[in-house]
Amino acid sequence: MSGQPQRALRMSYVVASVAGVAFFVMSVALLGWWPKRVLDEQSRAMGPEYVLPLSESARRGRVVYSREGCAYCHTQQVRYLHTDMARFGAPTLAWETRLDYPHLWGTRRIGPDLTRAAFTRSTDWHFAHLFSPRAVVPASVMPAYAALFDGAPDRPRQEARDLVAYLETLGRARELAAPEGEARAREACNCTDDEMAMMAFDGALNAHPGRARRTHEAPALPRSADLDRGRQLYGEHCATCHGATGQGDGPGARGLRPAPASLAEHEYSTDRLADVLWNGVWGTAMPAWRDRRPEDLAAIAEAVRALTRAEPNPPVPDHMVELGARVFRENCVQCHGDEGLGNGPAAAELAMSPSNFHRQRPSLDRAIRVLRNGIDGTPMAPWTARLSDAELIAVAHHVRGYYEGASAAPGGVRR
Amino acid sequence: MHAHGIAALVTLLVSATFGIIVALQLLWPELGRDTAWLSWGRLRYAHTQGIMLGWLGNAFLAFLYHGVPILTGRPVTSRALGAWIFGLWNFAVMVPGWLLVLAGISQPLEWAEFPLVVDVFVVLALLLAAVQFVPCFFARGLESLYVSSWYILGGLVFTLLSYPMGNIVPEVVAGASGAAFSGLWIHDAVGLFVTPMALAIIYFVIPAASRRPIYSHFLSMLGFWLLFFLYPLNGTHHYVFSVIPMAAQIGAITASALLGVDVLIVVTNLFLSMRGSGFVPRDLGLRFVGMSTFFYLVVSVQGASQAQMAVNQAVHFTDWVVGHSHLAMLGFASFAAAGGLVHAWQRIAWARYNARAITWAFWLMTAGMVIMFVDLTIAGLVQGRLWADGAPWIESVQATRPYWMIRALTGIPLAGAFIALLVGLTTGPRGAGLREVEASIGTEPVDEIAPRLAPAAAVEAS
Ligand code: HEC
Ligand code: HEC
Ligand code: HEC
Repeated sequence: MSGQPQRALRMSYVVASVAGVAFFVMSVALLGWWPKRVLDEQSRAMGPEYVLPLSESARRGRVVYSREGCAYCHTQQVRYLHTDMARFGAPTLAWETRLDYPHLWGTRRIGPDLTRAAFTRSTDWHFAHLFSPRAVVPASVMPAYAALFDGAPDRPRQEARDLVAYLETLGRARELAAPEGEARAREACNCTDDEMAMMAFDGALNAHPGRARRTHEAPALPRSADLDRGRQLYGEHCATCHGATGQGDGPGARGLRPAPASLAEHEYSTDRLADVLWNGVWGTAMPAWRDRRPEDLAAIAEAVRALTRAEPNPPVPDHMVELGARVFRENCVQCHGDEGLGNGPAAAELAMSPSNFHRQRPSLDRAIRVLRNGIDGTPMAPWTARLSDAELIAVAHHVRGYYEGASAAPGGVRR
Repeated sequence: MHAHGIAALVTLLVSATFGIIVALQLLWPELGRDTAWLSWGRLRYAHTQGIMLGWLGNAFLAFLYHGVPILTGRPVTSRALGAWIFGLWNFAVMVPGWLLVLAGISQPLEWAEFPLVVDVFVVLALLLAAVQFVPCFFARGLESLYVSSWYILGGLVFTLLSYPMGNIVPEVVAGASGAAFSGLWIHDAVGLFVTPMALAIIYFVIPAASRRPIYSHFLSMLGFWLLFFLYPLNGTHHYVFSVIPMAAQIGAITASALLGVDVLIVVTNLFLSMRGSGFVPRDLGLRFVGMSTFFYLVVSVQGASQAQMAVNQAVHFTDWVVGHSHLAMLGFASFAAAGGLVHAWQRIAWARYNARAITWAFWLMTAGMVIMFVDLTIAGLVQGRLWADGAPWIESVQATRPYWMIRALTGIPLAGAFIALLVGLTTGPRGAGLREVEASIGTEPVDEIAPRLAPAAAVEAS
């Protein structure tokens, strides 16, 4: 080769090398640094003035989350896609992530996205699930984190408390900021003509199908129901907590406060079951099942009803009727309401709704037991200190009297 | 160098064991329940870091000790330095990295799970490796550099540049912005470390083993430069449909498509260079490398397409992507690394070599890889379908179980392959590889191989 082309070749290599480095720098500038500037600006403009920082405990929980690789099964990023939004809620905005050092976006979803985990599940559900996922969700493949507990789901060690404290911050900032926060972000976004950016403000903030709702209309369930399918689904999804025979003694029940209801000791009206299945039981570990088809929910409701143990309904002695009504009026109406509809003046202040006796009837045994012991983990306290045995029995009879039968009209939708 | 080779194979076995355990845990999640360090997440960290740094890192270093002196006609800088690099890489990076990750000290960043203390040693070892190998290349001037040399130089330099970006920047830059940097690194780890080293091996082994120069030096260099221009621009395609500015996403998606085209150029050139060697070359090193090239083609075309929005929407977050990364790391990179080791072993007079075991390794590895890839790809499509249909989440978990079962079963041929490879390179008579080469095509003195690995030969041939 003569000198001339050699020099040209050498020159071209030098040029290319410089260009190679330049492209790398360009990649960092265009795909790292520039997005960072845009996102920082967006965070400033669209986020609330002040974002609640992580508590010390939540910060430690984040470290546990990181070291256990939760992010390799759970993303923390709702994408701007309708399929994501329908399942998890509003797409992630930049400001929501501004305290994430380092980010935990993840690239694989073996379990569901956790961006909006706050206010989605109850604390006791988290403990039971972390301690033994399959005791709560039989088909789960999530690893058990029993090492974070002292041998039982209701004995979490500090690390487990920290982890759950962290989970309960996920999506919290945006939820607390709404709806004023949404309005502010939308305005600052100034992107009404940008279809994708606008998706961030479409639909529900948290669309999790299992999230319990305190009050919400529940569509009526289809009339015909397939009992066998219902039993199968009950076995797959409910028996873990409520037990195979509905006694509230499934493996997941350990550690739940309140404990799963003993379905065998209850009669439920159709609309009560529809309400529970669509909306869960607010304030407890009982999730909603909105991702199931209505026919399946009807089938499950049928299976729940079939669990009820038939009991004789002895006529109530006259003197008890009077006594029960009086005791109820004097002690119970502020929560359970004048008519036993669960809508007393104090009801709205409680962490969970008082029972509406028109739509469900506990067995006599169960009612007396509840009055003697209260229901652990709920505002329903024991009454033995205030009421005599006779009064307890009388008021137990009384509350049972409200029940309107399986197909009761939804006169008593909880408010 | 021999030491790196053995360390590579040992870390390969360890990493594969981690991989097999996590695959089994998805089927029997109670496995290892009471042992914190056997938890799925921690083993998952150890698995990928082990494969990338332990197996591929060591195998690449081993190959450099064989390739660089031939490519440059000069010995590496220093033997003592070599011992230092070996010690650092294995006893300051791999062993403590694994122990720390399993003990729960790590960073939750993909392909960057080893904690920062360990990262310091990675960078240090890479710097020393640069000192060890880079000066050789400047002995004869740029214009006589063969394409493998370019890849090695590029790989060393750019890994040094991008490693801190992926490992350190997200720790100090929050949330979405940090993710933008992570995205860059996830791709650079593959694109600027693994791919160049693997291609360096492929470009070296093909002409050295087949006795024919590379088809076109021009195409080689074109491929090289396009790769280094385009690869870094791909990163954001890991976060399509995210809040990261759309312009960056579109840019990365476009670069991904162009990269697909670039790979077509590279692979065409490589296959043309292999013509005449048969579909399944007799030479074992060449056979591994040929298969690697094939996987490279598939994985790149797949990568370019899954970056496109329509595909990404359906398969992102599913096992499809897990299949893709196995095809890249196990299919493309590991076949190249294994090919490089086998090729080098054949040319060391005192190295043990067992051709039967290596043949077994090749076929088992191929079978395991292909089954796993097809299986995970289908699993990903099934999951994507169920998610899009709004089925309850748990149904996507239940539906995957049979696919996870098959994936776990591919652990058998793969573990078999890795053991066979270790057996193939540690048992058998000393110098058997050399004798085999002598018997088939006759050995060649280095001064005859070397010119073929220079641009001039290629230029003349084309
Ligand atoms: C091997 C993958 C895997 C790992 C690792 C994992 N999970 Fe899960 N996770 C799942 C799966 C699958 C589900 C869905 C089934 C269920 O609810 O158990 C789930 C469900 C959840 C849920 C309920 C989410 C919802 O919306 O219903 C929470 C909360 C959760 N995981 C938290 C964690 C935490 C915290 C960690 C780390 C300590 C973790 N997970 C690690 C697979 C995993
Ligand atoms: C995570 C455990 C858990 C699972 C799984 C679960 N439940 Fe519940 N369930 C509870 C808890 C806790 C309560 C609240 C008990 C209370 O209000 O005192 C409850 C309450 C109920 C109630 C209302 C009972 C009442 O007396 O107010 C019904 C009905 C019910 N569950 C049915 C079901 C059905 C049907 C399924 C399956 C589709 C199911 N549950 C799955 C824990 C669970
Ligand atoms: C502080 C408010 C409050 C007061 C006062 C109160 N309850 Fe309750 N009660 C509740 C709540 C809340 C529940 C629901 C707990 C749950 O679902 O687990 C409940 C549940 C019950 C149940 C169980 C229903 C079932 O289906 O299992 C019975 C029975 C009951 N109350 C009877 C009474 C009677 C009788 C009185 C008066 C002597 C009374 N309660 C006073 C709040 C109250």
